Amino acid sequence: MKFTLSWLNQFISTEGYTAAQISDRLTMLGLEVDSVEELFVDLIPIVVARVTEVSKHPDADKLTVCSVDNGEEVVQVVCGAPNVRAGMWTAIAQPGVKLPDGTKIKKSKVRGVVSAGMLCSARELGLNSDHSGILDLEGQTAAGLPLIDALGLRDTVIEVDLTPNRPDCASVRGIAREVSSFVGGTVKSLVDRITPLSGREVGYEVVIRDPELCPRYTARKLSNVVIGPSPMWMQQQLTAVGMRPINNIVDITNYVMLESGQPLHAFDFTTLKGGKIIVRRPENGETSIATLDGSQRQLDPDMLLICDAERPIAVAGVMGGLETEIADSTTTILIESACFNPVSIRRTARKLGIPSEASYRFERGVDPNLADAALERAVNLMALYAGATADPDGVDVYPGNITAVKLQLRIGKVCSLLGMTLSRDQVAGFLESIEFHVVAIDEATLEVTVPSFRVDIEREIDLIEEVARLVGYNEIPTSLPSIRMDYPKRDELRELRQEAARILLAQGFFEAINYSFVAESHLNLCRLSADDPRRRVTRLLNPLSEEQAVMRSMLLPGLLENVRRNINFQRPDVRLFETGKTFLQEQEGALPEEQMYLCAVLTGLRFPEGESLYYSGLESDFLDVKGVAVNLLQTLRRTAVSGESLFQVKPELVQPYCDPACAVVIMTDDTVVGSLGAVHPETLKGFGVKQPVYFVEINLHKLLTLEKKAKQFVALPKYPSVKRDISLVVPDAVPAGNLLQAVRSQSHKHLESVEIFDVYRGKPIREGCKSVALSLTYRSATSTLDDQSVDKVHEKIVKSLMADFNARYREGSEV
Amino acid sequence: MENELLRLKQEAEEALGGVQNPAQLEAFRVKYLGRKGGLLTGVLRQLGAVSPEDRPRLGQLANDIKQAIEGRFDEKKELLGSALQAGASGAVDLSLPGRFLPFGKLHPVTQVMEEICSIFEGLGFAVAEGPDVESDYYNFEALNIPKHHPARDMHDTFYVTDSILLRTHTSPMQARIMEKQDPPLRYIAPGKVYRCDSDITHTPMFHQVEGFLVDKEVSFADLKGVLTSFTHKMFEKELALRFRPSFFPFTEPSAEVDIACVICGGSGCRVCKRTGWLEILGSGLIDPEVLKMVGYDPDVYSGFAFGLGVERIAMLKYGIDDIRLYYENDLRFLSQF
Repeated sequence: MKFTLSWLNQFISTEGYTAAQISDRLTMLGLEVDSVEELFVDLIPIVVARVTEVSKHPDADKLTVCSVDNGEEVVQVVCGAPNVRAGMWTAIAQPGVKLPDGTKIKKSKVRGVVSAGMLCSARELGLNSDHSGILDLEGQTAAGLPLIDALGLRDTVIEVDLTPNRPDCASVRGIAREVSSFVGGTVKSLVDRITPLSGREVGYEVVIRDPELCPRYTARKLSNVVIGPSPMWMQQQLTAVGMRPINNIVDITNYVMLESGQPLHAFDFTTLKGGKIIVRRPENGETSIATLDGSQRQLDPDMLLICDAERPIAVAGVMGGLETEIADSTTTILIESACFNPVSIRRTARKLGIPSEASYRFERGVDPNLADAALERAVNLMALYAGATADPDGVDVYPGNITAVKLQLRIGKVCSLLGMTLSRDQVAGFLESIEFHVVAIDEATLEVTVPSFRVDIEREIDLIEEVARLVGYNEIPTSLPSIRMDYPKRDELRELRQEAARILLAQGFFEAINYSFVAESHLNLCRLSADDPRRRVTRLLNPLSEEQAVMRSMLLPGLLENVRRNINFQRPDVRLFETGKTFLQEQEGALPEEQMYLCAVLTGLRFPEGESLYYSGLESDFLDVKGVAVNLLQTLRRTAVSGESLFQVKPELVQPYCDPACAVVIMTDDTVVGSLGAVHPETLKGFGVKQPVYFVEINLHKLLTLEKKAKQFVALPKYPSVKRDISLVVPDAVPAGNLLQAVRSQSHKHLESVEIFDVYRGKPIREGCKSVALSLTYRSATSTLDDQSVDKVHEKIVKSLMADFNARYREGSEV
Repeated sequence: MENELLRLKQEAEEALGGVQNPAQLEAFRVKYLGRKGGLLTGVLRQLGAVSPEDRPRLGQLANDIKQAIEGRFDEKKELLGSALQAGASGAVDLSLPGRFLPFGKLHPVTQVMEEICSIFEGLGFAVAEGPDVESDYYNFEALNIPKHHPARDMHDTFYVTDSILLRTHTSPMQARIMEKQDPPLRYIAPGKVYRCDSDITHTPMFHQVEGFLVDKEVSFADLKGVLTSFTHKMFEKELALRFRPSFFPFTEPSAEVDIACVICGGSGCRVCKRTGWLEILGSGLIDPEVLKMVGYDPDVYSGFAFGLGVERIAMLKYGIDDIRLYYENDLRFLSQF
């Protein structure tokens, strides 16, 4: 909502307050001021001047050389305007001045004659579109007076960002009411008197078929209308608040709407058929109407229409019809000032997609008691500025005649909710300052009558809010609530997520956050089969683009896009992770299944910082991501069913976006918790990534279901350990890790740990074989072990390994 | 003689203390301990001239002193020697960059969100998270925003179906939690929210932290107190604060909270649109309709609620000027925080 200070002052005097002060007070009353703009500031350096002499330019027929008195001296100016004459008062832009259109005035020579400035047309000054000659300021007497003052144009436009509960402030007069709460004084009425409207013998009839949707309809006929431009002052006010002047009738309806908050509509009376206005919904297959913006609008059965005896002539409260529009030749008009149901208007405006100034007000609530005053105001202005003769009577159908809302207000409730002490009379005073009528019922209770324009006030709490904002929020004290102590509930999943993040950070991963909505094509790039559950995506009805059309069902695609971006920006060494939700639409029409996942990707160098200096050539590979996953699960203390490894190679469970040659499943007891491996080359290609990327993804809900190993102290060993190394040659196909598993899975006496310390292929090891070197550590909790007892166990282990894996000792010659 | 010995001891100790390199150390050795002309050696030689009854005592003293100085000399020699060795084999170039294992960082939005949560957790608030895809009921109806309410214009909503949508704020958690529990309650609900709006200051997804507290006799003054404490903790200084009337259908009275512009300190700049103030959160007393809808008696219980935009606070704290950077996950961005 925009208004000018000059317009505001027509309703309440703001003398003594600057624009900034008014803005600040309005903001603190809840009418947030968005901008304060001084008008015509460009015109300040332009001054009134008198042309004292004119003579023809020696070298140009159409130019005149003028002597101009600018208030300080007489200067010579070359002018091309046809209307320039000696003795004329006009406006001069002197050298150094910048015109509203950006032109900078310089002292120059025009065809050899010096010109010290420019005499300006109205268009050049941004006043209006007149460019037929220079501005004629007949009646001015003081050369040198700033033009802005000479024309009385100094003004400020203030824009308020209205909250939807305050339609009463969508008008200059409504703003004035708020302003009066701090400047004092009474707000001027719209009109001095209101003509009573009987509806008898007016020559037309108004019928409201649907009083629910139209509580009031007033109308008045005017004849002898002469369509023409509206007065300059009105055009200036409309322009200042961003409305384009059209003609006197349209401008007056707009002007009165802005001033009062009551939308009006003018019909060309001669186009109305049957002398009737009927307010109703569509009938008999009426399916469309041509609106005055020239388009054909589809109607639906719930829309409220204004009709004549035969057809719809307007969409009520939203837009007028083309066929009854005011034309230049119109002489008789009917002005409508009505009130419509907010929900109905909102629905219609939405459906037709034509929000208008009128629908904005109606859908938030227009005071039905305003209709007649606004009508009167419009009629008065039309008589003055369109030569119109108003019918002495008009129509006022008011089926929804409302009784004023009366509310009880408990002073105790006011004080306890605001947390401050206010007396009954203080509270009454605040409410009276904004035109509420207040009567004391007893010491602690007021009865408050709500003015009809405050459609937002329906309950006691609404009054308490009014008191709060009039007291001033910053006058309300601050305190801290006293609330019973209680241990806040912990969210296990949130804690798991935070802990997992900490572990990943410590391994060099940066956290990423990607949009929850993605392109559905990601699923194809990830090679998901047609029946993959992750294809059951949640789809948006109104996405911003196809790239953000479905809710993600996996995290990896977003991270692969991040990898590509970083590579493109010359950061090819990437470690990123994200913890976030995925969405699966398990059932149409229900909320999707939301699952919390963790996904991490790594690619490029293992140690990008200081790479060339310290760690040259260490590219990340599968074992890096495996290390990350093991570290993560170990630190989180999540374990498999006892004895089982969480990391399993299960070709049948390899994810389609995973390279089958490099894929491990994280699972226990048939529950797949996640997977890790190398991203499938085709998927990489799809995402435009040209280097190998390794990933791990874990369903955090499922991870939570894994057993959590308790922290349990184990006494530090008192006796020394004994180490035995053994080097075995096994067929190449045997995974080295299986040897470890085999040793670990049986509990051998005194065996403390076993590790692989070397894997070797090549000469002198026979082709098709490899050597795996294990280091076994033995220790007893009760004594120092002697060779004999170690040998016994060690031999047994070696024998079983040789038998199980077709292994043999690595010979001396092979060392 | 005795005095001469003690003086010599002190002088030698001081001289040794000043030795910084092997050349000085050698000069010291020659001067004090040299076989020919060394000062200590010289004194010992003079023992012959001392009276026989003093001789054993002074001889002992002289020997003790000589041994002590020799001991200190050896220590010094070792010390200089190790430094010398290092120098010879190429000492550490201290100017080279340190060698370190990579370490990542949390996303700035997460950092700020965790900071907000931890401040409220310190005040005893519990943390709860709700669904991103939400029903129209919890997102709107339960919050006193019926269908066709103009307040829905304030939310550019992404829809999944007529009655399912992407939550436009974290406020649905108010209703979800209240309908399952009885007061007293204090909760914060961080999470992602969605609005179909995209430009330099809006992304279609962003993060909010919702908070609310319900008990008997909770007042607007309490709301002001809690949010003032929060703001001062969050911005690590006693910033000026103002509460300004506003409108949210689910709170009444409603307030927006502005802080003195952290960029210009309140004198007016581009960031605060020359007002000197920055809006950081919306708040208010929970509307009695909302309480009624979850079965609380508004004459017995009252409460306040607030919601803050995490991205905006991160922008203010870190001076980020383009909100879109948040979701590009560019390492050059992520590594700055």
